[in-house]
Amino acid sequence: MAKLSLMFENKLVKEVPIGAKPVRIGRSPDNDIVVDNLAVSNDHARVYFDAGRLVVEDRGSLNGTFVNDLRVERATLHDGDSIWIGKHHIKVDAIADAPLQYQSPKKASAPMINETMVLDTKVRREMLQQAAAMGERTQFASDRIKVPTIVVLSGRTDAKEYILTNRLTTIGKSAMATIKLKGWFKPAMAAQINQRDDGYYVGSGAKIPAVNGVAISGPTKLNDGDLIEVAGVRVNFIVRE
Amino acid sequence: MQVASGGATDVGMVRTNNEDSYRIMGALNLFVLADGMGGEAHGEVASSLAVETVVKHCLEGQQNPNAPLSGEEKPGLTEKSRRLASAVHLANQEVFASASQNAEQRGMGATLTAAWIDDVNLSVAHVGDSRVYLLRTGVLQQLTSDHSLVAEQVRRGILTASEAESSTMQNVLLRALGTQPEVEADIEQVGLFPNDVLLICSDGLTRMVTEPEIAGALQSEPDPQKAAEKLVKLANEGGGVDNVTAIVVSLKPEAKGWFSWLRSGANKSVGGNGTAGGH
Repeated sequence: MAKLSLMFENKLVKEVPIGAKPVRIGRSPDNDIVVDNLAVSNDHARVYFDAGRLVVEDRGSLNGTFVNDLRVERATLHDGDSIWIGKHHIKVDAIADAPLQYQSPKKASAPMINETMVLDTKVRREMLQQAAAMGERTQFASDRIKVPTIVVLSGRTDAKEYILTNRLTTIGKSAMATIKLKGWFKPAMAAQINQRDDGYYVGSGAKIPAVNGVAISGPTKLNDGDLIEVAGVRVNFIVRE
Repeated sequence: MQVASGGATDVGMVRTNNEDSYRIMGALNLFVLADGMGGEAHGEVASSLAVETVVKHCLEGQQNPNAPLSGEEKPGLTEKSRRLASAVHLANQEVFASASQNAEQRGMGATLTAAWIDDVNLSVAHVGDSRVYLLRTGVLQQLTSDHSLVAEQVRRGILTASEAESSTMQNVLLRALGTQPEVEADIEQVGLFPNDVLLICSDGLTRMVTEPEIAGALQSEPDPQKAAEKLVKLANEGGGVDNVTAIVVSLKPEAKGWFSWLRSGANKSVGGNGTAGGH
């Protein structure tokens, strides 16, 4: 089972397994990991599994939550990451966190349809429900409205937060860009984010962006909490509900 | 922006009639594509009626900006987007009326995808599973989402994108033109950059040719007409199970505008330095 290890000056203070419930981290004694330091907020951060991925979420703390060296609002965690809260850090052991493997739903024995056809609303609803019943994956298909957001962590931009409303979001200095970069020598079009049916993909422009510290080699699907760095700007991709 | 375009269509290797229709209105920088359905020759009737209605309504709007709009207006749209939305609304009425009045046309319909370029602003109106792609700095990006059952299942997390590609249900649309009295069109507004390349295509292309192959063809063939022909050829080589249509639009910086930009840029920086020196 994945676990978190609270460390202070390289000494192990406490180990906490990560189960179905979020691990609460903060100064007040009702937390799962209590960090008794004035720099730590009462309800500071939480770590939990979201769709098979380990996520840390800052709870609006005063002094912030850092993953490795980066301040984050929400970020996916990987094995060996360190979450820094004040002078303490929490080591992430995610080796045992292999997400549940899904059995690909058996192909419904649907009739082969060669001609294009349109479904009316009622048939459509029934078919979607049938299709939904085919796969367990529906448990992630919630009806809650998800708002994909770019939160600027560092670098000069015309706003600190952008809600992605268009199919194509451009990051650059150009007047046509959605996320406008400020400052000299910034490219007109540094990178772009494309909404596809299965999610959001970041692609290169005049620069090659890095996602979670790794330069992308082609359009790369973004996950909740991912860090994107391009043209001197660091942003978090966050899906709010 | 300098706009150059080309288009090609083919019946494919399996079908006997071509139900795709498209129009390139060079003077307006308007590009319209429809993929008809409904057996016999009625798919062709639906798709050409849809394309003609859109072209005519946009031409009217161009000549008289006060020409009445059809359908409900959405907020936050440019004039061209509003006109396109109105054109799709009208085209739906036309196809639906024709299908209800002529018994042999019952059940006919069409996809409709229209792109209108106004200098650096692109408006897209879309119903169905034809697509608009934008190739920019070598990255192929999809500007429309398919109104198909499998695409909806991908959006809901029921299918993965690759499962959708091998699904037997790919032909099932959730939205099309002319099958209901009212239809909701997706409207997308995108800012354009020099050297952007647009592709508007029917599903006969996207089912036969992978996106990397499409991107490669668009990059290797700078002439839009030849690029469109090449894509159609690729679709036929891949099996050509459906009618295939491709419209390719390439955008280049205005040659004249480039030099005037240089001059105004020079003037600006002189002015900027003067101000800085004064402080």
